Amino acid sequence: MNDVKEFVKKLFKNNNINVPAARVEIFDQFLQDEQNAATINIIIQNQNRLMAKWRLQDRIAEIMGQSVRILNASVGKSYEAKFDFDKFGWKDITAYEFAGLQEAGLRYDAKTKQITGNPTQSGDIKISFRFKLEGQTEDSSFNEKIITLIINPDPKSLWKNLESDKNDPHWKEDDVTVFARIGDRHILASSKRGRSHANVGSFREDDFAFKDLENGWSIVVVGDGAGSAKNSRKGSAIACNGMVDYFMEGSSVERLQAFDELLHRFQENRGEETQKQINQFVYNHLGKAAFQVHKKLEEFAANEGLHLKDLSTTLIFTLYKKYDSGYAFLSFGVGDCPMAVLNSDLSEVVLLNWIDVGEFGGGTRFITMPEIFKNEKFATRFGFKLLEDFSYLILMSDGIYDPKFVVEANLPNIKKWQDFLSDLSGKNEDKAQVELKKDNKDITTQFSRWMDFWSAGNHDDRTLAIVF
Amino acid sequence: MISSLRQNPQAIETAFISIITFDSVAKQVVPLTDLASFQMVDIKATGTTCLGDALKVVSTCIDNEVAKTTADQKGDWKPLVFIMTDGIPTDDWQSGLEEFKKRKTAYTVACAAGSGADSNLLKQITENVVSLDTADSQSIAKFFSWVSASIGVTSTKVEDAGKEVTGLGELPPPPSELNIVT
Repeated sequence: MNDVKEFVKKLFKNNNINVPAARVEIFDQFLQDEQNAATINIIIQNQNRLMAKWRLQDRIAEIMGQSVRILNASVGKSYEAKFDFDKFGWKDITAYEFAGLQEAGLRYDAKTKQITGNPTQSGDIKISFRFKLEGQTEDSSFNEKIITLIINPDPKSLWKNLESDKNDPHWKEDDVTVFARIGDRHILASSKRGRSHANVGSFREDDFAFKDLENGWSIVVVGDGAGSAKNSRKGSAIACNGMVDYFMEGSSVERLQAFDELLHRFQENRGEETQKQINQFVYNHLGKAAFQVHKKLEEFAANEGLHLKDLSTTLIFTLYKKYDSGYAFLSFGVGDCPMAVLNSDLSEVVLLNWIDVGEFGGGTRFITMPEIFKNEKFATRFGFKLLEDFSYLILMSDGIYDPKFVVEANLPNIKKWQDFLSDLSGKNEDKAQVELKKDNKDITTQFSRWMDFWSAGNHDDRTLAIVF
Repeated sequence: MISSLRQNPQAIETAFISIITFDSVAKQVVPLTDLASFQMVDIKATGTTCLGDALKVVSTCIDNEVAKTTADQKGDWKPLVFIMTDGIPTDDWQSGLEEFKKRKTAYTVACAAGSGADSNLLKQITENVVSLDTADSQSIAKFFSWVSASIGVTSTKVEDAGKEVTGLGELPPPPSELNIVT
């Protein structure tokens, strides 16, 4: 009763009606009147209804304005994202439905409070979330909140494969895979244009060369032309072929002959002195070869009116020869392409070079840089190894190293090389298998297929040469 | 901008984006996030222009979020930095610039949006300065679509180059709304 009295008093007061002390008795009677009591009741009910309605409106507006973020999806990748009403503070939602989810290949699971599925189309998908709140009648219409779901395209579907311009004077084949005899072994080599180049119709910038030389020597060379240098495809070709040519010259053949005697002495007496003589020989002879190739690139640039750096390319090569006592490997390298020999029972890896990696991604050095030859580290770019026997000699460009070995620390780890070999033998996502046997008739087809492996973010040219 | 960038396969597989705003304070509103997971936030231009603070924040973010190559860690590509401002710095921007200069970026592009910004001042931060005559939403949108095209080109170039793009000449031609400040 007192509440009602206060209520009416306030109502009157808001309308400038005061109930003086002299009228209190009459006021009480007024309130007790049946009709008046009913009217007051109606007023209170209407007020409550109005306030409830407003609260509902306010709440709907709040939910509408609430920023709701759901994880981005990607086409072709199974999707699973929490869509938890409680987390959004939506405990007052009594009914809901989604529209637009199904079309995107998704559905909502109320039990797990997740949106799941396999998105089929990319884009900024507008999902309509329709809901009713506590206080809304069953026949009232749904409130609609639009939620944007970003569905990324499948990158695999975005890469284009545009042919390179065959009329370009420095054009080279986009993909090459060869299998041949080399010395007493075989070589399987492939060089493929990366997706990043295929996507814009530019050229393969990697290159390789190999050859049997005089007196039992063989050579394998790999070069990786720099993406930023406009004629690096030519640079890597000149570097690789130039290196082979150099060692075929009469004077080089003669000089290499002297190694037999040196090695003989080294084997008779493995001391500091003989080791030093061999190192000196490798430094002088292979250093000269590297410098000649640098000069050749310089000449070509001058003749064609190019800057030397337009031909920027890395360069690695290994010369090897079988002696009665085992195999001798002589090597040189500039750039981020590793060379390694695996021993016969695959229990040991011998690295033939260290690789030039910069502080940030993509940083490396090129044979076209004159400072390479003046740098104090120049002498450390050479290698000499004598192994009783070997199973594989492997040279690769960073297009293989980056996805398969990732970081330098993995290179001396034999386990990583064993993994690499099992990858080659079919332990991979595509089950692409290369049977490394000399009488395998499908070896180039198998290898070419393997070379196309998918690795997100790794779409540089790939070159891999395996002697076995 | 972001949705067109998502259509670039190189970008969607390799690019990461971070957003730092600066008004009366500078703050990183989106940490370095891969493009596939990235979601845009609403940004409103308000208050003062603490560009110096922003340069300090971007420097710390580069230190903390951009990985350098080590024997056991693959380094990230050098970051690209885009600065857009519509006003004159209200703080000690030179001390921020000193910090920023110690960091290596593939390149930095500054955009003076509208008449309130000072492109000569931005020239001291980077060689690459562009300006917009008016800071309306249409011109700003044009700037950002050019930014995204630049990220697309550069993520390819930096990737297989081993050498960074250094000048505006190596980026896609800017739209007519953008004036190159020389």
